Amino acid sequence: MRSRFGAASINWPGMAVLAIVLAAWEALVRSGAVSFEFFPAPLAILQGGIQLARDGVLFADLAHTLISIALGWTIAMAIGVSLGLLLGFSPLVRRYGLATIEVLRPIPGIAFAPVGLLLFGFSLQTELAVTVLPTLWPVMINTMGGIANAHPRLNDVGRTFRLSRGDIVLRILLPAALPSIIVGARISLGLALVMAIVAEIVGNPAGLGYAIVREQQAMNPENMFAYIAVVGVLGVLLNAGVLGLTTSLWPATAQRPAA
Amino acid sequence: MADSVFECRSAGITLPLRSGVRPIIADISLELKSAEFLTIVGPSGTGKTTLLRMLGGLAPPTSGAVLVRGEVLAGPPEGVVIVFQDYANALLQWRSVAANVAFGIERTMSRAQCNERVRDALNLVGLLDRADDFPWQLSGGMQQRVQIARALALRPAVMLMDEPFAALDAMTKAGLQDELLRLRDQTKVSFVFITHDIEEAVYLGDRVAVLNGSPGRIEHIVDIDLPFPRDQITTRQLPAFLAYRYDLHKAIGHA
Repeated sequence: MRSRFGAASINWPGMAVLAIVLAAWEALVRSGAVSFEFFPAPLAILQGGIQLARDGVLFADLAHTLISIALGWTIAMAIGVSLGLLLGFSPLVRRYGLATIEVLRPIPGIAFAPVGLLLFGFSLQTELAVTVLPTLWPVMINTMGGIANAHPRLNDVGRTFRLSRGDIVLRILLPAALPSIIVGARISLGLALVMAIVAEIVGNPAGLGYAIVREQQAMNPENMFAYIAVVGVLGVLLNAGVLGLTTSLWPATAQRPAA
Repeated sequence: MADSVFECRSAGITLPLRSGVRPIIADISLELKSAEFLTIVGPSGTGKTTLLRMLGGLAPPTSGAVLVRGEVLAGPPEGVVIVFQDYANALLQWRSVAANVAFGIERTMSRAQCNERVRDALNLVGLLDRADDFPWQLSGGMQQRVQIARALALRPAVMLMDEPFAALDAMTKAGLQDELLRLRDQTKVSFVFITHDIEEAVYLGDRVAVLNGSPGRIEHIVDIDLPFPRDQITTRQLPAFLAYRYDLHKAIGHA
């Protein structure tokens, strides 16, 4: 049984491998076996990160990225879940809408960056446009699938217990779709992080993504790698956060083995 | 036996399929009395499940009529509940065992009353100690008992069971058969029990109806005159049991 906060239990063997990789990296750079002008060792990167944190720059950049992820993900969730429910419940909407979606969905979000720049300039709006568009698909598709793939027997159960159509939706079909919606939400959150960073690199000069470019252009590889590491840690924490939240809200959805 | 709960008057169901209309069941006339155990036996593809869904109000008859306590059936009738064959799909996987059993009654009665009903129902099927587990933590036989308890919690007048033990092993099946007979004695519920297992039909039933052909029709109704309480070993060895078994096999066309 997992702890109350899902992913919070630490995988020690996995952490050991990570530590060995970092140690090997440190040794290779220090011994001169691997030598590039701008390729620092992990400890130097850590020192760079600590300095950035002391100066407060790191937190300002982190705050910007967190806010744009939160905004982008929330907008994507609202649109994605609504569209997904509509598509899931209505075969008619699926019939007319799915073709359009299947054409839009494979377009990489980054392809809309120039469009965003043209419309909104170097701004948060551009960043959100680039983040929201690709991020809404996973949660939309999973919401639709969760509803449309609910076993027809569940509908029979609702009817034999004389539930109204509305109660069948609220008390049976939505809870049945919830695990699938949560999976979509988690994939979307991971994507929101990636797209926010990408948008900050090419579009909106702010946040962690821009900081990576800024430090690169300032020839501070330690700081550049420190920002990359922060993005990685942020991804792990966001995923663990959503997992922990959903586990404590709906214990049954997290405990059930994947079907 | 008291008055009738269900009455079918040459009821039939014809479904529109891609290949044209297809009659599934036809000319069904039968009666279910209160506290009666009626088993319906027949080969696959004769419309057993359709007949049960018709009685449960999930599939309206397209000809003839079905009466529940004298009134024409319109949708799932009160006091009648279906127990489905595929318990894994029919149970609500996100609810605990107790919450599954409470599903049909939690909106209509007080918390205390609901809890008491759930306890009673779980007690009847012997799962009181698994109330807090989730369905996927139970064996198949236990999950089917949860579904039976969920139906019992409603205190129904009629339980419609669609091959409820088909997916279970022989030992679990025998245990549940005896549990159903005990439940009927304790609760006076009427049962319509669909099966393709002739021995099961004879062992459980007060009467056995044979559904056969395409479209499925009731070809015979046999009164089963075997002593109660029935016993898995001695009842099944009675000459009368073997004679019913032989006759029904013959009626279905196995002899």
